[in-house]
Amino acid sequence: MKDRAVLVIGGGVAGMQAAFDLAEAGIKVCLVERTLSIGGRMAQLDKTFPTNDCAICILAPKMMDCYRHENIEVLTLSEVTAIEGEIGSFKVKIRRKPRFVDEAKCNGCGDCARVCPMGILNKFDMDLRVRSGAYIPFMQAVPLIYALDRDKCMRCGLCEAVCGKDAIRYDQKPEIVERNVSAIIVAIGFDPLDPSGLTEYGYGRYDNVITALEFERLICAAGPTGGHVIRKDGKEVKRIAWIQCVGARDTRDNRPYCCSVCCMHATKEAILTKEHYPEAATFVLYTDLRCFGKGFQEYVNRAEDDYEVKYIRGKPGEIREKENKNLEIFYSPSSDRVEKLEVDMVVLSTALIPSEGVEALAEILGTELDKYKFFKLKDSYNPTETTRAGIFVAGYCQAPRDIPECIAHGSATASRAMEVVLGGSYDRRA
Amino acid sequence: MTEELRIGVFICHCGINIGGVVDVPAVVEYASTLENVVHAERNLYTCSSDGLESIKSAINEYELNRVVVASCTPRTHEPLFRATCEEAGLNRYLFEFVNIRDQCSWVHMHELEKATEKAKDLVRMGVAKAALLEPLEELTSEVTPSAVVIGAGISGMTAALSIAKNGFHVHLIEKKREMGGMLRRLYKLYPTEELAAEFLEQRIKAVEEHERVELHLSASIKAVEGYVGKFKVILDENGAEKSIDTGVIIVATGAKEFEPEGLYEYDGEKVITQLQLEEKLKRGDSKLDGIENVVMIQCAGARGEVVGYCSKICCMNAIKNAKLIKEANPDINVFIAHNELQAYGEEYELYYRDAKKAGVRFLRFPLERRPKVIKSEGKLVVDVFHERLQMNIPLEADLVVLSVPLVQNPDAEKLSKMLKVPLGQDKFFFEAHVKLRPVDFATDGIFLCGTAQGPKDIEESISQGYAAASRATIPLAKGYVSSEAIISSVDEAICVGCGICESVCPYGAVEVVETEEGRRAKVTGVKCKGCGTCGSSCIKRAIKMHHFTDEQLIAQERTALVTEEVVS
Amino acid sequence: MKEGEVKIIGFLCNWCCYAGADLAGVSRFQYPPNIRIIRVMCSGRVDPVIILDTFLWGADGVFIGGCHPGDCHYMQGNYYAEKKIEMAKRLLKEAGVEPERLRLEWVSASEGERFAGVMREFTEEIKELGKIKFEKDEMEAACIAAADYRLRILATKEKELLEEGNKYGEVFTRHEMNRLLDDMVREEYEAKKILLKLKKPKSVKEIAAELNLKPNVVFRHIMDLRRYELIEVHEIRDNTPTYVAKVEEGGE
Repeated sequence: MKDRAVLVIGGGVAGMQAAFDLAEAGIKVCLVERTLSIGGRMAQLDKTFPTNDCAICILAPKMMDCYRHENIEVLTLSEVTAIEGEIGSFKVKIRRKPRFVDEAKCNGCGDCARVCPMGILNKFDMDLRVRSGAYIPFMQAVPLIYALDRDKCMRCGLCEAVCGKDAIRYDQKPEIVERNVSAIIVAIGFDPLDPSGLTEYGYGRYDNVITALEFERLICAAGPTGGHVIRKDGKEVKRIAWIQCVGARDTRDNRPYCCSVCCMHATKEAILTKEHYPEAATFVLYTDLRCFGKGFQEYVNRAEDDYEVKYIRGKPGEIREKENKNLEIFYSPSSDRVEKLEVDMVVLSTALIPSEGVEALAEILGTELDKYKFFKLKDSYNPTETTRAGIFVAGYCQAPRDIPECIAHGSATASRAMEVVLGGSYDRRA
Repeated sequence: MTEELRIGVFICHCGINIGGVVDVPAVVEYASTLENVVHAERNLYTCSSDGLESIKSAINEYELNRVVVASCTPRTHEPLFRATCEEAGLNRYLFEFVNIRDQCSWVHMHELEKATEKAKDLVRMGVAKAALLEPLEELTSEVTPSAVVIGAGISGMTAALSIAKNGFHVHLIEKKREMGGMLRRLYKLYPTEELAAEFLEQRIKAVEEHERVELHLSASIKAVEGYVGKFKVILDENGAEKSIDTGVIIVATGAKEFEPEGLYEYDGEKVITQLQLEEKLKRGDSKLDGIENVVMIQCAGARGEVVGYCSKICCMNAIKNAKLIKEANPDINVFIAHNELQAYGEEYELYYRDAKKAGVRFLRFPLERRPKVIKSEGKLVVDVFHERLQMNIPLEADLVVLSVPLVQNPDAEKLSKMLKVPLGQDKFFFEAHVKLRPVDFATDGIFLCGTAQGPKDIEESISQGYAAASRATIPLAKGYVSSEAIISSVDEAICVGCGICESVCPYGAVEVVETEEGRRAKVTGVKCKGCGTCGSSCIKRAIKMHHFTDEQLIAQERTALVTEEVVS
Repeated sequence: MKEGEVKIIGFLCNWCCYAGADLAGVSRFQYPPNIRIIRVMCSGRVDPVIILDTFLWGADGVFIGGCHPGDCHYMQGNYYAEKKIEMAKRLLKEAGVEPERLRLEWVSASEGERFAGVMREFTEEIKELGKIKFEKDEMEAACIAAADYRLRILATKEKELLEEGNKYGEVFTRHEMNRLLDDMVREEYEAKKILLKLKKPKSVKEIAAELNLKPNVVFRHIMDLRRYELIEVHEIRDNTPTYVAKVEEGGE
């Protein structure tokens, strides 16, 4: 009897979907998530294109469904450290980092967070907000269990003193757990590129050059500024430009590919800006507008016609910061001209790249990566299967795709894993 | 209801989260004076194992038949308390949650007295609702363990084969005599440039050889009845009628190429579509003898010209065909006149660069100034306004190829009516949720994949095919479907069969059927999701939305508004 | 609630607005304690009859919170909610109550701060309007009108009439729709007021005088009410018939 269980690595939308489908089909799933909460990158978004659905509103019930499912075991703060065996019977070692909070006891009241004297930049908010040393990354985190940031903790003991549930555990140690599974699904998503190295954009040097994901936190009502798009000097924005393909479609650093989502992402952010500030002027500087998905062209039409978003073809050669911290963008709209656009904020649609640690994980799993560090496929046109039998891949870590494609992809790999668990198709030619 | 009501109320301090603002002992005392309340107590944390134990023991000790917990929010803790009630032998729906933390103590931190008043009101409202709660059960219904896949193109074949490999019988229905769909007409595939015919052959073989796939070729759907788990699909297969029982249905009917009649001097000979070009190339005519100049026009009929949308695959398809022509015969000039170029994703950008390297020439026109095809004395000129040079460039052409969009099949509307699933404004099948449910329909048990949902390339069609297989396998593997317990029901004595409820239900859960008494609405429990819109729309108020009944909601609001102190 | 304070009842959908209210709490955004929240699964569940009953029982304001358009967990429930609430507002107006006392807002699960803001603003508005005032008969008539099938059909079919047209394929313009709604609501409301008056036998003239309506209007309603067997002739007094409401089986 083979193990009727599947390991899913990564608790973003793709991983959650795969886990949920499998669990619903009666298969046990171990969902391993590196951070404190499942939800992935989608949880960081304010709205989603092309419907402007509120991201967390539609995601949170899905996160709860996943976490509560009787067939899903969610292991947060966990990483796969080793696998043995083969399709049908993998033995997986998982390292669980300590939370320093008793998961069974914490009821998420947040008393610990309120007394903790430490102030630490919150990664979930793209370092734009300070959280305390006892924390959850965001309000809708699942599981709703606090954690202590031990690197920053000075063990003052206040959290322990106020915790009515006696849940603080300063002495928790990392542990290794083992699970036996028939198949593995990798869905570790992406990281946004840090554009500091692309000096022409001035990110890191200029106050008001930010990334699209930072913008997403700013415009989010539950974000660090309560949904106000404000500059470092506290002024609200009036003219704002998005610059596309920052570090993408760019042969420098071996990144010639298109990230597939940024044109629509920028369009959405421009629309949201206009909804917040009807008087604001919004510009999108782009090379090719990639509006190929369902409803995308219509969305762009709305942005242009109803929201007066101005699309300008031209990639900036340079950005300069003025004394008042405004930015001058120099770009060339036709072969014989260079134009200047002045704005008070620049948002960089940075490339989305394979997650940090992908190479180490690929090595542990014994799967190959392609030249851009996306997971390599066994067969072209079949986007589900890695180069190792029984290990499948879902979502952005296989190739750029948007949320619904990631979700379909998550389900797709679930069916491949079902073929193994339910159908017993160990013979890959079956 | 004849049984005596015995309500227990549990009020949580949540440490100081509630207790620091609301006077919990006073609320407990107040609760114990309310009608039907036989027990009230407070807990430091009702959700702790101590708290849960004390609910269970109180249910036994005081013979409670309703439980009210006033604490945090039902959105996180209702399942826990419901389960606790069930463990003590009480139906889980005889539990009522009162939110006095997130919506009281935390938002009125500086108004202690008023917060306490509010907490009392909320508890009183909860008790009033609890008195009217009824036990509910989740309904289950068996599932016929087989699937129907409509359409044997690449996505339908993928879905069918995966479900078969998952261990279930699949009926794969194709209206044509052969499987393969649009792939049959293609020459080579981008970006690998393998032959479409070879690619297809392997996959057709795998489907044909699988023991659990039952093929129905030259077959069309005549009628569909039933609901998730128990569908009946009536087929016309080669003129004979066949009836298939199935648990789930997948729509994989594909799309077709738009016919550009009347546009760009289209004639099917000198001005053709990309698919017509592929067929030419496939016939071995890749050298295109006698042709010196080929001009391809992108977005022909798309993005506002005839249809509104971008068809996703035409740019790459044009680039592929252009590159193949150029490589087979470097003397032919190949131009692609385009607006935006959709070379998205990991591999297409490089493929596009390869085409450029091979000598394919790209000219960008603005969408508001699309190219014109001028035909005179048998000669063709394509007049392209070059965006970057801001001038018109006339290109002589021996062959003009129009990159036209994929459009929905004309028979899709009929199918959508039979299945009671919607088409979108673009006429493609409309999924349950644009973001989160790309291969589901709102109606349980019916799924979609491939270009029936919208234009997409082969890889994505395969991905969706597998995805639909996964979604469809779930009820088959479970063997049953269960409904929400909180669903609506129709009082047939009041219903007049007007059908308003049917029109507002997004799940097809309420339908008007013929009964002995005449036309009456009927709720199919397993389809209902419990939103209650049918109830509030019913013209005779004949529909009861359980657990949120008119009586319960009215009891809550009226109780909230009654100002007299309850006499104990 | 204490006398003198304005009383607000809120019906919030589980998926968006209720979650937004929870987030306001989690984030400790403060707002006035006048609202009592009732959770429903979907704003589409909220029946105009319940809204009007809430006013009848003395609420000074009623708040309905749903998902933003397009976000509805059940696809279109919030759309139907909007139409129903418009209907309830028209009836409130007929009953002489400021329609601003009824408010519909879309609040998403991430808009905790906004929820608190809306609560502050709405409570302030209701405080400015003061305690609610209405004639009991009039609000009761509005309640019964909301339960009547004619208005319920209109509230639900509005979208279809505007977008797809009626059975004759006639598509209504927004303007035509508004006129139709205004007329129908007034008709229904008048009819229900007459019905309430007929708890005791009365002649057309007497009703017309009491309700300040033209006798021919009253007569038309009387004919209508008779057609639906809601009233009957009580007696003929000096060649003038008087009418009385039929007692429903079981009664109230």
